[in-house]
Amino acid sequence: MESDAEEEAAATPAAAGAPGAGRLKGSPELTVDADMREMAKTAAWSVSSCKAGNGVAALRDDNLNTYWQSDGAQPHLVNIQFQKKVQLQLVVLYVDFKLDESYTPSKISIRAGDGFHNLKEIKTVELAKPVGWVHISLSGADPRETFIHTFMLQIAVLSNHLNGRDTHVRQIKIYGPRPNPVPAQPFHFTSREFITYSTIR
Amino acid sequence: METLMVDRVHSSLRLFMHRNAIFLCERLCAQFPSETNVQLLATCYLHNNQPYAAYHVLKGKKLPESRYLFATSCFRMNLLREAEETLCPVNEPNMEVPSGATGHYLLGVIYRCTGRISAAAEQFTQALTLDPLLWAAYEELCILGIAEDTDECFSESTALRLQQEHTSTPTLVKSNFANENRVLSSRVSASLGDISPKQIKQLHANNIAEVSGYPHVRPTALHVQNSSTSNVAQFDTPSPTAAQTSSIMPPPLFRNVHVYQNTISGDAPTKQKANGVNQPLRRKYMDEARLKKVSGRLFNCDSTSIPRRSVRLKDTATNSNSNTSQFGGNGTGHSSGKLRVNSSTPSKLCSTAIRSVQVRKGKPRATENFDEGSRYEVIDEMWTDNISGTSSSVSTADGRSFEQDKAERILLQDSKLALGIRELLGLFRTLGEGFRLSCLFKCQEALEVYRKLPESQFNTGWVLCQVGKAYFELVDYLEADRYFELAHRLSPCTLDGMDIYSTVLYHLNEEMRLSYLAQELISIDRLSPQAWCAVGNCFALRKDHETALKNFQRSVQLDSRFAYAHTLCGHEYSALEDYENSIKFYRCALQVDERHYNAWYGLGVVYLRQEKFEFAEHHFRRAFQINPRSSVLMCYLGMALHSLKRNEEALEMMEKAIAADKKNPLPKYQKALILLGLQKYQEALDELERLKEIARHESSMYALMGKIYKQLNILDKAVFCFGIALDLKPPAADLAIIKW
Repeated sequence: MESDAEEEAAATPAAAGAPGAGRLKGSPELTVDADMREMAKTAAWSVSSCKAGNGVAALRDDNLNTYWQSDGAQPHLVNIQFQKKVQLQLVVLYVDFKLDESYTPSKISIRAGDGFHNLKEIKTVELAKPVGWVHISLSGADPRETFIHTFMLQIAVLSNHLNGRDTHVRQIKIYGPRPNPVPAQPFHFTSREFITYSTIR
Repeated sequence: METLMVDRVHSSLRLFMHRNAIFLCERLCAQFPSETNVQLLATCYLHNNQPYAAYHVLKGKKLPESRYLFATSCFRMNLLREAEETLCPVNEPNMEVPSGATGHYLLGVIYRCTGRISAAAEQFTQALTLDPLLWAAYEELCILGIAEDTDECFSESTALRLQQEHTSTPTLVKSNFANENRVLSSRVSASLGDISPKQIKQLHANNIAEVSGYPHVRPTALHVQNSSTSNVAQFDTPSPTAAQTSSIMPPPLFRNVHVYQNTISGDAPTKQKANGVNQPLRRKYMDEARLKKVSGRLFNCDSTSIPRRSVRLKDTATNSNSNTSQFGGNGTGHSSGKLRVNSSTPSKLCSTAIRSVQVRKGKPRATENFDEGSRYEVIDEMWTDNISGTSSSVSTADGRSFEQDKAERILLQDSKLALGIRELLGLFRTLGEGFRLSCLFKCQEALEVYRKLPESQFNTGWVLCQVGKAYFELVDYLEADRYFELAHRLSPCTLDGMDIYSTVLYHLNEEMRLSYLAQELISIDRLSPQAWCAVGNCFALRKDHETALKNFQRSVQLDSRFAYAHTLCGHEYSALEDYENSIKFYRCALQVDERHYNAWYGLGVVYLRQEKFEFAEHHFRRAFQINPRSSVLMCYLGMALHSLKRNEEALEMMEKAIAADKKNPLPKYQKALILLGLQKYQEALDELERLKEIARHESSMYALMGKIYKQLNILDKAVFCFGIALDLKPPAADLAIIKW
């Protein structure tokens, strides 16, 4: 699932995030649990800067050939604002060192909060010449912290490989848990008998 | 020359050579412009699926036959207002609805599409009174939820009435009859005894009498005989009205075997006594017989009978309701085709398309049979596998073989007629009762009624689909699966109930079989909404809601009067959390069919999620009123009540749900939830313990137990329960809650 096995759990939301010991490599496939779903389709995406023709839309177009290219000072920011507080579990980026070289991000920080005014860093990761999808889990070590509840997420590219100034990111996806198909239930149903009787179609 | 042309047109239509028929008919109309010929042309266009052309030629014509055809073309082009205006003009309230029973049926369908339910119901009842064997009308009444008991509709008195209608032809064309008999080819199928000339005459007499007796029926009769009579009478320019009553031709097509058989020995395919699925069919035959008589009169010789018959057939054909080319009097097949259509009512094998055709089905044109006098074989492939072609009164709509008997056995015919009528009505009674009960969601009773059917009838696509649907409503998906599978195997081209079948497979989580079914259905008919519903269900099962939505939308596009497609779209939007659109689609479904309880349920769920609990409760209650036996609905209603904090009522509802279906674990679970909310921990635990026996492997159940223990501070038990819950692998969301 997540390829950050080497990485230690990030600090809890309270403390400042410490950089993980390991570095992420990226995997060629996007592997996501079936009980997660993409959350950011109805969110508002924005970036700190971009070059003409390589704007924020390239991050969401499901096309790995198009990319977002920043055009300003570091850190480069991707802001994702949701319409209501959501539970998030996983951030996945597609980057390619072979194609982008010095544009490939090397240090990424993920912040969450209610808005621009109170973002707090929840995770920092370092990448090592990644090619493919990089899965960044947002969970804490504590089972109670499997999800983060937030209105806004900010992905900050702090530095690039080979000390490049601008960065290329080809795709970003955000995952969270699926809602319960049966409304007003505290738990999901797992057995066939319950599921069969649980809805009318 | 005109007769010859008319004859050729009829035979082309009968043999499905539509373009040929249209060409000939256009020449005919150019040379002999008369309204009947125009009607024939319109019929040709309608057969060739060009309702706009029929609309164009018939615009402004006033004869009842023309009005009926015009209304049908308008309906097919979705010009409902015009169709209604034609059938029932506002300025002339006393004008009769053309073509009797089928006209009323068409008017009823129009009213239903435009939302005037009570007016629609009135029309359907009227149609049914005029023609008790018009199954489509009864079916519509059931769907509207207001059908009366079949014992009343298809009762003994109806039988007597039908019998009278069919045998009441007075001695009108005795001579003709004799001629006719001679004229008629003597291929007599076994069906009913020979039709003696007297009988035929009698029939005619009956027909005439009948016609006179039921003035409002006259249009129907006219309709039926319409062309035939006119043909017969004038021989050249059939005029719809005149000939009918006068021509005492024994209707060549004997749907109602007995009547026809007698009369038409030979020409008319004598249908079995089976009272024919459709009385109209019978009537048609009668008309045909009558026509025959007339033609017999006119032509007193064999040689001429044939062209006449064809002419007649053509005439009657113009009235054709069935989509099978009813024209072409020259084939028994033809009539069978007609019969088929008409008789299709009971067997739901007919797809909705046929149903729409059935609108006109009132007039089966048995003319074909008539022509040859050959036996009328009802080729009812569509309908059921058991088409009993025997002459024995096969009361099944399916098998109607018209046999022509010699004229001698008129009396025998009579009694056979009576017997046949009764048998048919008996069949209708059973099927109608079953259908009515299942529309009212009294599924157990419906199943019992269906089991009373004879083996041959039971093992047909329509009946098996109905049985499957009944089990589906009872939430017994395994049995439903079994029956639907059987239905699909026996008649793979019945698409009517297949959308429900796909839902059954969805509930049973059978991905492979569902995808196989979907692919099969698409390959059978790419343009049927049910096939796309099945495909959509396939994707929905894999949680790919967007693709599923696309497929359901295609289904809606194919037939916007198919309520279930709208509901399924609504479900998908709801899963995608797009509540605005899902509400819109549920409402569309309800516009099409107000008694579609799935849509009410869907709305309730949306409001529940949006926490508009009052609305949710209201919608669940509406759904519950429509289907008071569903334990799942009761459960949801209870959940809504619980959210409204009306806990006593909620508990009551849960008790009802538990009582309604012992196998449903959900009400018990919900009850435990409610009890937990009321802080009656011990009772909740008891409930869950009982539930444990039924559903051992449900993680949410253990999780709930653990939660209760935690509340009670019995921590070790809580830990134990949570442990089991985790072992059963709940999704991540639960994990978070469970581990603390």
